Amino acid sequence: MKIFFAILLTAILTNNYILSKFLGICPFLGVSKKLNTAVGMSAAVIFVMLLASAVTFPLNTFLDNHNLGYLQTIVFILVIAALVQLVEIVLRKYIPALYNSLGIYLPLITTNCAVLGVTILNIDNGYTFAEAMVNSLGAGLGFMVAMVMFAGVRSKLETCEVPKFLEGLPITLIAASLTSLSFLGFTGLVENMFA
Amino acid sequence: MAEKKSLGQEFTKGIIKENPVLRLVLGTCPTLATTTSMESAIGMGISAAIVLVCSNIVISALRKVIPQKVRIPCYIVVIAAFVTIVQMLVKAFVPTLDEQLGVYLPLIVVNCIILGRAEAFAGKNSIVASAVDGLGMGVGFTVALIVMSAVRELLGAGSLLGHSILPASIPPMTIFILAPGGFFVFGLIMACANKLAEMGGGKKAKLSGCEACPMAESCAKLHGGEACETAENAETAQAEATPVETAEVKEAAE
Amino acid sequence: MKNSVVKEIVIPAISLLLICIVATALLGFTNQITAPKIEQLAIETQMKAKQEVLSSASEFSEEKTVSLDGVDYAYYEGTANGEKVGFVFATSAKGYGGDIKIMVGIDNTGAVTGVSILEIEETAGLGMNAKNESFLSQYTGKSNTLSVIKNGEKGENDIQALTGATITSNAMTKAVNIALDLYKEVGGESVG
Repeated sequence: MKIFFAILLTAILTNNYILSKFLGICPFLGVSKKLNTAVGMSAAVIFVMLLASAVTFPLNTFLDNHNLGYLQTIVFILVIAALVQLVEIVLRKYIPALYNSLGIYLPLITTNCAVLGVTILNIDNGYTFAEAMVNSLGAGLGFMVAMVMFAGVRSKLETCEVPKFLEGLPITLIAASLTSLSFLGFTGLVENMFA
Repeated sequence: MAEKKSLGQEFTKGIIKENPVLRLVLGTCPTLATTTSMESAIGMGISAAIVLVCSNIVISALRKVIPQKVRIPCYIVVIAAFVTIVQMLVKAFVPTLDEQLGVYLPLIVVNCIILGRAEAFAGKNSIVASAVDGLGMGVGFTVALIVMSAVRELLGAGSLLGHSILPASIPPMTIFILAPGGFFVFGLIMACANKLAEMGGGKKAKLSGCEACPMAESCAKLHGGEACETAENAETAQAEATPVETAEVKEAAE
Repeated sequence: MKNSVVKEIVIPAISLLLICIVATALLGFTNQITAPKIEQLAIETQMKAKQEVLSSASEFSEEKTVSLDGVDYAYYEGTANGEKVGFVFATSAKGYGGDIKIMVGIDNTGAVTGVSILEIEETAGLGMNAKNESFLSQYTGKSNTLSVIKNGEKGENDIQALTGATITSNAMTKAVNIALDLYKEVGGESVG
């Protein structure tokens, strides 16, 4: 049990996918202007991450058993792309309410490197299936935490007077830098909690 | 592609005017993640450039064969194949680079620059032009990575390409090669690039310049022809999306 | 209508399939070329690491395994002129960015002769400093279970942690400690 908590907290706080692994920066900068879009995007990411990990994990075992490990990247990205499409179709047809809130973010997720990243890292880190799922959940939740926090930071930034040469993207990146700095404070936390 | 450009212009636009990192703001993940040292930045830049040129050539060659409907999956397969080939070659011949880039090497697949160029350029232009475009973009990407890694390595580790530059009396500021330093340096370089562009009469770099984003089309479809950033005002766009879709269905039925 | 089904579904599906097949074939071909090379490289790196951590040995035995607490570890016996001079253990421990895999050389007296890192994915600038000679050399000559200290007086069995990378330092030390325990498992009988 302890190991699951350790993996979960590590993925959310110390090894945050956005702020310390730099995965999923595009949506982090692109859709974090408003809180509700940030939450919607993150929810879609969590959903797809869990689904993608659940599918790619057994697939990888299959590939390894047949000495096809070198097909990992191509298979994973295709699975994710297909999965995203499938989820979109299913949601639209059967759960329109959910589709209305998440659907618009789905096409953007295929090229979200955090999703492919988490599936590959699950394998690289040698996790078991349960651990991989927990890690994916943690990665998704960490994504959400970072997005929501950053949306808050950016809404404050809107009302600030920014030096002219930093207006726009530069000040956003510097704000991201400070947000990331605050997450640096979590370093060692999990290790000491579960040591 | 309103006006026809010469091959030379096609090449240089990727380096300066349409630099993928600094002007189009694409491929930010590898830009931040692999610029902790100049060595890994150069490795990442070259690997991505090779994939970019090869995939541009192949996609351009196949542009008349690939059906419109499945073009994105087709592009992804082509790109993933080249990424895996590069990955295997790097593992076999430059193992230290494989160690440095780690997971970011397979992640070149989702580098938006590559899919973005496939969608915006290679799918519509001749093989030679696409190859040159890929090369220009690849070089532009590499140059941006080198500039950024030079700043970060010099300040964060006091060295360049692994050779100590700063005297021992100036302790390196490790924060620059940590995550916050990445965002910070990127922000400042972006500010400089904006300033330079302004002086040259260009526009400021804007986030998700839609024409460059590979997903622009699927996005635009959803938002009734509006551009990418409209994920922001998605709710209002939702209403507009319906007529567009019905029109599409009609078209498909014919 | 039938025509449109072909046009809308069959043709795209077939072309996607064809591209996938060609891509897979290409990958299989590249893999054929690179796989042996990658394997050979791994063996070479291991050989070099073995030589590095136990420099007094000129030859190494085949890989043997020893288990400790239910986990199997690989180890090699190092010999020079037919005489056993020590062991090399391959151990690992969980660091900040994944498993850190190391090789530890231990001579006949039970003292560490060297540590070499095979695989490490720590934070650049912090944990990656574990590769530095100044950190690794701390292990040389130690033979008792080691612990990590952050500051203060460094005792005989203490390892000075890397600045800002306690987790990495702990992982490295843990892996070396495992090697020292393994030595007792396998070395005890032959050295007496």
